[in-house]
Amino acid sequence: MSRLVAELPAPTDERPVRVGRRRRGRQERLAYLILLPALGTVFVIVTIPFIVVLIQSVTADDGSFLGLRNFTRALANPLFYEALRATGVYALIVLPSEIVLGLGFALLVHRTVRRAGLRATLYVLAVLPLVVPPVAIGVVARLIYAPGYGVLNIILERLGLIHQEIQWLSNPTLAMLSVASVDVWQWTPFVYLVLFAGLQTVPRESVEAAQVDGAGWWTQFRYIELFYLRPLFLLILFFRLADVLRVFDHVYILTGGGPGTTTQLLSLYLYRTEFKFFDTGQAAALAVVVLVSISILYSLITRVLPLERA
Amino acid sequence: MKRARTPVTLLRIAIALLGLGIAALLYAFPLYWLVVTSLKTKSELFAATIHLLPHNATIEPYVSVLIDRGFWVLLKNSIIVCFFTVVVTIVVGLIITYPITRLAVPVRLRVGVLNWALSLRFLPPIAVVIPYFAIVRTLQIYDQPIALIGIYSLFNLPFAIWMLKGFLTEIPLELEDAAMVDGANRWTSFLRVLLPLAAPGIMAAGIIVFTFSWSEFLFALILTATPNAQTFPVGVQGLVTQFEIIWNDMAAAGVIAMAIPLALMVIARKYVVAGLTFGVIREK
Amino acid sequence: MQRITRREFVKRTAVTGAAFTSIPAILAACGTGTSTSNKPSKLTVAAVQGAEDGPLKKVGPMYTAKTGITIEIVEFPYDTLFSKLVTTFQANGSSYDLCMMDDPWMPKFGTMGALQPLDSNFGFTRDSDIPSIVYDVGTWPPPSGPVPPTEQSKAKHLYGITIVGNVEMFMYRKDLATAAPTSWDDVKANAARFNKANFYGYVIRGKATNPASSDSLPILWSFGGDVFDTNWKVKLDSTESIDAITFLTKTLKQYAEPSADNIDAADRDRLIAIGQAFQSTTWPAEVTGVVEAQGSSQVIGKMAYIPIPQGPSGKGIGMMGNWLLGIPKGSHNGSAAADFIKWMLQADNMKTYVQNGGIPTRTSLLNDATLGQTNPYFPALAKSLAAPPNWRPRTDQWNAVETIYGTAVNQAIAGLKTPKDAMMSAAAQIRTTMQGAGYPS
Repeated sequence: MSRLVAELPAPTDERPVRVGRRRRGRQERLAYLILLPALGTVFVIVTIPFIVVLIQSVTADDGSFLGLRNFTRALANPLFYEALRATGVYALIVLPSEIVLGLGFALLVHRTVRRAGLRATLYVLAVLPLVVPPVAIGVVARLIYAPGYGVLNIILERLGLIHQEIQWLSNPTLAMLSVASVDVWQWTPFVYLVLFAGLQTVPRESVEAAQVDGAGWWTQFRYIELFYLRPLFLLILFFRLADVLRVFDHVYILTGGGPGTTTQLLSLYLYRTEFKFFDTGQAAALAVVVLVSISILYSLITRVLPLERA
Repeated sequence: MKRARTPVTLLRIAIALLGLGIAALLYAFPLYWLVVTSLKTKSELFAATIHLLPHNATIEPYVSVLIDRGFWVLLKNSIIVCFFTVVVTIVVGLIITYPITRLAVPVRLRVGVLNWALSLRFLPPIAVVIPYFAIVRTLQIYDQPIALIGIYSLFNLPFAIWMLKGFLTEIPLELEDAAMVDGANRWTSFLRVLLPLAAPGIMAAGIIVFTFSWSEFLFALILTATPNAQTFPVGVQGLVTQFEIIWNDMAAAGVIAMAIPLALMVIARKYVVAGLTFGVIREK
Repeated sequence: MQRITRREFVKRTAVTGAAFTSIPAILAACGTGTSTSNKPSKLTVAAVQGAEDGPLKKVGPMYTAKTGITIEIVEFPYDTLFSKLVTTFQANGSSYDLCMMDDPWMPKFGTMGALQPLDSNFGFTRDSDIPSIVYDVGTWPPPSGPVPPTEQSKAKHLYGITIVGNVEMFMYRKDLATAAPTSWDDVKANAARFNKANFYGYVIRGKATNPASSDSLPILWSFGGDVFDTNWKVKLDSTESIDAITFLTKTLKQYAEPSADNIDAADRDRLIAIGQAFQSTTWPAEVTGVVEAQGSSQVIGKMAYIPIPQGPSGKGIGMMGNWLLGIPKGSHNGSAAADFIKWMLQADNMKTYVQNGGIPTRTSLLNDATLGQTNPYFPALAKSLAAPPNWRPRTDQWNAVETIYGTAVNQAIAGLKTPKDAMMSAAAQIRTTMQGAGYPS
């Protein structure tokens, strides 16, 4: 029976390729010969857009130099801060919910489900949402939350829990929660899978020793399991944060940023600036701001990230 | 050894079952409802009461989406774009990972390449879609599959590099060395020894790249204009309309969009998490 | 040995890489095949998804039968279509030979110079059977009303021909009300009278941006308010404008459906069609597409269609929302595309088009008694077109303005802001936008 585990890099996990010095030199040259053209090409393809967007952000459509005018315009726009706020709120809803729920299920399954077959089934079920196109999930979400035909209201009404339609997509708070719920639906399984894998790395002996000492499940979690999971939380945070900044598809379909601008996340705001207002200068300036902030964020996070590098 | 079931353990089991039950319901219902809606006739959408169970199920919406609306062309585009994305990504991924895993290179180089690939994962598409649109316009490849293939390959390269790195590292260097001692050159030993051994991993990486490209929407929305290059998600979005009640068609399109990645997961399910976590979580 | 091997390896890797990367290029090249011949085998039309392009899809094959030219229709939802057209024009793509355009988009496309002039290039002239407003709306710069500062020196040309003669009208349940509402006060009185549980006195189409904007502009105008005055000065914060928006978002809102701020045309039509609402504004396409459609509607024959009721200004002003066909500059098949438009305009072909659910612009067809039987709103539409209706301000900035205005109205409907606050802040934002674009404001 195969199982999923976290492979955290040990500090000494350096895979030495032992070869003689001469051979090493030759191999290194060969490596550069293969790598340089490929990496060079990819590097150029990746870098060109950065240069293009930088040029776009300081020039007008006719090519004249504008200085930082686009940046002042972009940063003076209250909608930018609304978008930042919306993105922040979104992240603050989805990240903790996904982590808490994912952790809860991971612990629940880890402690209660012993049958390998059942675990494997749960694994497959958890994988499925991760590969479903967000566009399709947006469609599902509309079928659930939309006014008039949204099935959630219909069910609540049939159960006698409500007598008036709940305005899922109209009330600013509910709209944000609805949009976030889609994210939670899709990505909680991811957190579950990662943490569940992490729990498999906890040495059985230490758990058993603790149980002999009469440790309850909380103590066991708090003092043993949490220790092994800690680096994985960072990992989850890293990937989920990267994803939150790129969320677009399901929000675009579900609310389009509404009501008002409540769910207009950063990505939707950028899209609107460029492809609805056709204000390329301002959009490019925004893109530069986003790219710079993300680079900073990235370099901060990667310092503590438990990724195997070598 | 069986432990006696005290009331406390029973309670625990009950809570666990309840939790799992609720989770299962929340998990499955949206998908269930999508499928049920996709089987409704148009006149049923205008009925005042909405049936929660399948009622006069019909495959009409699927026919409508694929044939009447001509979405099979978009399906074809999606498959072509994803297929070539996989080919390009895997080839480039192998070119980059081979030297850093199979050849003696300074650790700094290896770490540098991997870090750089990882940083691409953090690149928000929306921030670069603006310059890419300008570039695509200049190159006159607007509304052509090649624009999407190029961009998808780029965005999937980080996954491919990290996954392939993981698979290649697991194959002992000695196997290739042995082949080379027997007179094979590096190319043949790569082709005859390494490639067959890495094949399952490469296949998995390919499938994951395929499903990720399959889901992509933003670039496809912006860089295509006609069924010449439009992918399926663009078509799905096109059915979310203000002027017409076509929830059944919309749902049918959603089901089709989901079906292909889900089907592929039957083969590659083991590797999805490895792909998403850049190899930290692995199947053992 | 070692050297050769290495070189060989690099070479083969490079060759393999090149071969793989070039496949998509070859593939793409096969896919496009732009024809430069005079008679193309296919005309590609960018169209709006919904009842508006349905009839076009039906007459396309008839054209193919006659000429051998396939009409390929690529559909987009309303919002996406506009973005798509602008981006395609920016890319000067040859993707579309024809495009369907909502009339408020004309200024943007006119300013961009994105379309081929139909009069000078393809010999289009005005037909006396078609109201002149229909041609005016497809002309750039606009023949009447304020002209954007940058466009004043341009020569006027016809760029678009209306294929969906759309004017926003009013509909109500004639089986319930004895007399047609003549003023918005009557509308309010009826709303109060017929409102009950699960039956809404009025339906607001309040989704943010275009829907809320379209739903509120006729009321705004009928109350004497406006977005701009004749010198592009913003008027949204005038008393009349605020009164109009207050009327919609406070007074009528009491009798409106829940979640009005998330309701779009399709949802509104469904409410009307399943007999859960009394009245609303409507576009002709919604009438043919849903409200009077066999198989989906339960109120066939129960609805009356009238021009927009009068407001305190003493006028009821309808809003034009014509869908036009134009030929993008990038198209290689201009003359074939023009032939198709001419074919659509011929009286007998337009009649066939109407029989397939199309909305005509020819006065003779609108007043045709037989056609009127299946299309009960034709007389109201003829009247509305002759009135003539208002068009939305002719500025290339309209999309931005509409987004700001339509979001503000939406916020007022949702109760996030008072009507006054919403209009004040919208006015301020629009001023900034317009000044940035070089308007006096």
